[in-house]
Amino acid sequence: MRMIGRIITHRVFLRLAGLIVGGVFVYASWDKITQADRFADIVHDYDMLPLVFVNAFALMMPWTELVVGATLIVGVWRRASGLLATALTASFMVAIAQAEIRGLDIECGCFDVSGMSGTEASWDLFVRDIALLLGSVLLWRRA
Amino acid sequence: MAGSLPDSKPNAQTPSSCPIVCGGARLLSWAALRVPHALRAAALLLVTLVAAAVYNAATPFGIPWGPSPDNRVGIPRVFESRLPQIDAAKALSLYEAGEALFVDSRDEDDYERDHIPGAVSAPMRRWAEIWPDIESEFPRDRLLVLYCYGAHCGLSTRQGKELLRQEYGKLVVLDYGWSAWTDHGHPTVEHPEGHPGEAEGEH
Repeated sequence: MRMIGRIITHRVFLRLAGLIVGGVFVYASWDKITQADRFADIVHDYDMLPLVFVNAFALMMPWTELVVGATLIVGVWRRASGLLATALTASFMVAIAQAEIRGLDIECGCFDVSGMSGTEASWDLFVRDIALLLGSVLLWRRA
Repeated sequence: MAGSLPDSKPNAQTPSSCPIVCGGARLLSWAALRVPHALRAAALLLVTLVAAAVYNAATPFGIPWGPSPDNRVGIPRVFESRLPQIDAAKALSLYEAGEALFVDSRDEDDYERDHIPGAVSAPMRRWAEIWPDIESEFPRDRLLVLYCYGAHCGLSTRQGKELLRQEYGKLVVLDYGWSAWTDHGHPTVEHPEGHPGEAEGEH
């Protein structure tokens, strides 16, 4: 156990985690930034936010992903970025879980918001997000 | 000198020779060591706010920060005036005049069960997949009336945005969609077996 602790807190491992988690966030942000109107539709589908906040969230969230991803890749302010990455990933997981529990048949909006991917919010994505959450928490608490 | 750092350089720039650059560098290094990461996270959020505002103002498909006056979200500013909503009475007058093509944005099953007479099926949830096949059914010189399920259904608005991107110019969305049309007792075509062509009847 102590060995695992040493490995995951080793600076090379943390650097690698920053590159992977940061890369995922940067990749995920681009489509949402360039098609904010389509992303706002998807945010609306999740039916979690009051109407007045939907557009603002759709504008802010992808840029947060981009800035967090870029700082994690570059290796600047990794704990702060890790904190934001943790908050973002946790919010994704809550959104997906509530959509599944309520039986909402909606597009995920994770990487592609054009409607071409056909990826729906599902428990599979929830499980995938657990890995992203673990990486984000590691960077927040140990970087 | 007692207390001086062993690797300090006598020729290093002094605050008097670089008051801004060195002062800034010292401030940054101080901040990097002492400012809590939660505060840095807040600073990153501030950066994202500025970046989002600048990009959204500059891009042609920028959206307003709040809902439109008719409580719709996700509509680019350039489309706001080009995607008007009409009520069921106006839709009926267009239907009776035969001037418009009605477009059913609902799922295929719902269209097959019942729809507005003469409407074409264009299920928005399968838009990317079906558009190449149905594009020829959408005339550019005729008004298109888009409808979906009801009050909170954004499918028609999304379809309108897609058609505006394809440079269709004459579009309206039926407010409250199918539920408004049927609540007012306007004509429908029903297929009790769920298959057009079998037991079709207009009401």
